[in-house]
Amino acid sequence: MATTEDWWAVWLGLIMFFAGLASIWGWNLVGWMTKTGTWVWGDFAWSKALKVSSYQGWHPLLSLLVTYLVFTALTCLGAAAMKLDLKRFFLGWTFLFMLTWVVWIIGHEAHFKASVNQFDQYGLSWGLSLGGGFSYMLALAVGLIIGNFFKGFAEFLKEAAKPEWFIKTAIVYLGIKIGLMSIEAAGFTFELAITGIAATFVAYLLVWPIVYALSRRVFRLSREAAAVLSSGISICGVSAAIATAGAIRARPVVPVMVSMLIVIFAMIELVVLPGFYTAVAPNQPIVNGAAMGMTVKTDGADAAAGAILDELMRANAEVNLGVVWQEGWILTSSIITKIWIDMFIGVWAFLLALVWVYKVERQPGQSKVGVMEIWHRFPKFVLGYLVAWFVYMAIATLGPDLNEAATSGAEAVEGPMRKMMFMLTFVSIGVITDFSKLRGMGKLALLYAIALFAIIAPLAYGVAWIFHHGMMPPTA
Amino acid sequence: MKADLEVRLIHDGRHWVICYRTLQVRGQTLPELDQNLAKCLRERGDFPAASQVTVFMGFDFETLPTWLRQYAYHYFNRYVLLRL
Repeated sequence: MATTEDWWAVWLGLIMFFAGLASIWGWNLVGWMTKTGTWVWGDFAWSKALKVSSYQGWHPLLSLLVTYLVFTALTCLGAAAMKLDLKRFFLGWTFLFMLTWVVWIIGHEAHFKASVNQFDQYGLSWGLSLGGGFSYMLALAVGLIIGNFFKGFAEFLKEAAKPEWFIKTAIVYLGIKIGLMSIEAAGFTFELAITGIAATFVAYLLVWPIVYALSRRVFRLSREAAAVLSSGISICGVSAAIATAGAIRARPVVPVMVSMLIVIFAMIELVVLPGFYTAVAPNQPIVNGAAMGMTVKTDGADAAAGAILDELMRANAEVNLGVVWQEGWILTSSIITKIWIDMFIGVWAFLLALVWVYKVERQPGQSKVGVMEIWHRFPKFVLGYLVAWFVYMAIATLGPDLNEAATSGAEAVEGPMRKMMFMLTFVSIGVITDFSKLRGMGKLALLYAIALFAIIAPLAYGVAWIFHHGMMPPTA
Repeated sequence: MKADLEVRLIHDGRHWVICYRTLQVRGQTLPELDQNLAKCLRERGDFPAASQVTVFMGFDFETLPTWLRQYAYHYFNRYVLLRL
């Protein structure tokens, strides 16, 4: 529990969760956190570009420094426990942190970010109205440029560029946000959680066999390659590919190759799908979010795509539909769907292992499959997410008089801390994505592209539409 | 399940390899590895002849590249019953 990234996402998440929760007893332990503000080109000031969460009288740069120190200490602690190269991690993290904040501040320039309704407020005559999503896209672009054109620098950053760790921590913080949102719209949250089961059904029982059959019959892949690819593409990306490969005792080279494909294609989906869904179905926010959760592989890419979709769709709805949706619901629909899929990978891997050992390889009695394999593969960060969610729900239900105090402490964690982790994820995903790795994987890459865009994306969208159409986020 | 022997399992790109103190056994497939291990144990005489030995093979996750480890930290472990 002290040496794995999954658990360290829980620890980083819960440390801030409890620090935020201390507001119930009147202690503000998280008010030092920095957040970004909108500023106008030619009128830059630190007090506009950076804000302090709630410590009155603090200079924004002091707030940023404390943010750096706290998160550096925590992540370095995790890195040391995970036996990473601490010196390389520290240096890489410092660059990554600075890069992230520079990009984040640039992304909040009013001509990029401000919606048309805010033009007068900032004295603008024109603007792109891209909302907060622009910062995410910019972070991704910067990361990709480093990862593909400055490979030496990318190599230097890689020890610290851990998108899955950052996003899992962000997802624990998101649990707090969902807890708070549940206070306002418990029925809607419950409905979102329940309909997420549909995603699980689709990923495991519908898409997996189709892709497996395609891989075997049309592309003539071996059983091990077909099974690993099918899981990676239809369930939860790299972790599913590794879980399946482990379950069927595949040679390690198989999940490594499939994982490279997954990471690179997830990047393509992350860039293409949010804009595409916003353009073709601007009035189906929850459907789009759920479809994203089923289509985009890897937790990091899905959460990142969900965050961009949330920003793009809300900005678009405000301008073109005249409605202002609350932030976070579209992202939540995307992540809840994914978390359901994540949770069952252990069970799926266990079933596959049984099938492989007792049916495909036919070695009954010689090699055994332990039930503990399910627990080994259970995504532990989900526990942190659920704790955060249920504690805030319990506060709302059992102690409504504590709501205001609990919310004030949660705001810095579920807002700026969560978004900072998202930003770090975006830069990191870009840094570790090297498109040149696709060379030499023509057949697999073709199969992946066909399965993803011709089978999974349409099926996922259809199922998301069946279960979610008509669901609208609460208005702000 | 209590194992009589606990070994480290890796893959070197061509073979499955198990390492235990000075012992190193290879096989192109896992069944071949199991056979080779049984043969090796028989020859070493660490266990009584014609006995059954339960071997725990813990896959060393360091076999996988570092960048992949963030997505999972467990590959697989095996319990194998060998008849010597």
